[in-house]
Amino acid sequence: MAIRDDFEVVAGQVRSAVQRFALGLLIIAAFGIMLVGKADTVLVEHVRVVALDLAAPMLEAIARPVGAANRAIADLQEFASLREENARLREENSRLLAWQTAARRLENENEGLRGLSRFHEGPEASFITARLVGDSVSAYVRGALLNVGRRAGVAHGQAVVTGEGLAGRIAEVGENSARVLFVTDVNSRLPVLIERTRERAIVVGNNSPQLRLTLLQSVAGVQRGDRIITSGHGGSFPVGIPIGEVVETGEGSVRVRPFADFSRLEFVRVVDYGVPGLVSNPGVVPATTQPGVSSAGQRVR
Amino acid sequence: MRVDGTLGTLDRWGRAALPGTVLLFFVLLTLAPLRVPYLADALPLLPALTVFQFSLATPERLPGPLLLAMGVLLDLLLGGPGAPVGVSGLGFVLIRAAVVANRRYLVGVPFLFQWAGFCLLALGFVVLVWSLTSLWTWTAIAPLAAFVQYVVIVVLYPLIGPLLARVRARDPLNVPELSRGTARPGGTAP
Repeated sequence: MAIRDDFEVVAGQVRSAVQRFALGLLIIAAFGIMLVGKADTVLVEHVRVVALDLAAPMLEAIARPVGAANRAIADLQEFASLREENARLREENSRLLAWQTAARRLENENEGLRGLSRFHEGPEASFITARLVGDSVSAYVRGALLNVGRRAGVAHGQAVVTGEGLAGRIAEVGENSARVLFVTDVNSRLPVLIERTRERAIVVGNNSPQLRLTLLQSVAGVQRGDRIITSGHGGSFPVGIPIGEVVETGEGSVRVRPFADFSRLEFVRVVDYGVPGLVSNPGVVPATTQPGVSSAGQRVR
Repeated sequence: MRVDGTLGTLDRWGRAALPGTVLLFFVLLTLAPLRVPYLADALPLLPALTVFQFSLATPERLPGPLLLAMGVLLDLLLGGPGAPVGVSGLGFVLIRAAVVANRRYLVGVPFLFQWAGFCLLALGFVVLVWSLTSLWTWTAIAPLAAFVQYVVIVVLYPLIGPLLARVRARDPLNVPELSRGTARPGGTAP
């Protein structure tokens, strides 16, 4: 019996040693994966895209009921303020009608002047409407997943807009999915114009709801309420997509509130400007303007 | 206690696969466009909570390699340019190891002890992810968001933890031999 006890003791020791070794091995493996990810970013991007493509259908299944619940909550909230909302919209409508008249007049005038001066406009943009199927919002990243990908004509670096303004740009593209990096993400840098003064600047995200304006020539010229629009520098974005308005001008820092409401995004439009942008990934061939319409994304215009 | 037949086999398989499936579900749920303020911030920590809760009773059903794979999947899906892939996997493996090593202080004890244990381990997890992400991207990431995430998940634990414990309530392995205290199978609080 003593031999058997000894054997069991030794076996137990071996087992615990293997278990301890297994933990070490797993930790080493985790660091190995991190190092590989650091060394070979292309490979990681590739794996990421495959994972996104695989997860996208499941996410869509989750997103629909969640979206319905979100909408129901929003509906309830809106019921409470229906009357005030109606009055506000009436007022806004009358104001916008005046603007429409002005815009029509200016458009005619512009067209006439362009005809006179043989002005050559940039390429026309086309849109792909996409549904948001996932948020990649955490303490470290501000983004979202879309249900359209390369098959629908989405390419790296394209602008993503909502009805209100710019939301972000395409950071990763899979066959049937894509990841948007919001303008509020810490990695987002955009060349912009201040609409009133036509001054150039860079708008920088820092994972907070507001953006920061940097590389301004003079902070003094910026006023609260100034609209910030894309400048089109860098090539992949059209000129003049509204981004946000200045809400705070302080010592050397200007804060911008984005027009897009990131907390209730459901559908967005991916703008295909038709020009291979300077910021786009050289490995990705920009989408040709094919007339093909995928089941997920709808090509408009 | 052995159940035979097809149903029995299915039952055993189901039990063996349950923790992994729940973990996968929470990893995917991390990306769900849930628009509830604060709650949505804490979603990325739900998988860590699952790992903690299931490691209490049945760590053998969440083997280390599976945890590593789930963590890598979470990092891949959550994305972020330059963010380290595999840091969540490392965190999961460490949580499981810590729970297994300190089982006698966490299983069959009053709920508050368990909660405190989770607070400590989740803090370790958040600090690990934050510091490695900062190191990897070489930027000082504002720690406030990570802290908010941590606070929310700690507050959520009493709501979700017992729910997950209930999922494995009829598990014969629920209370290990080494357990202290007087909790009944499936119970986490007296």
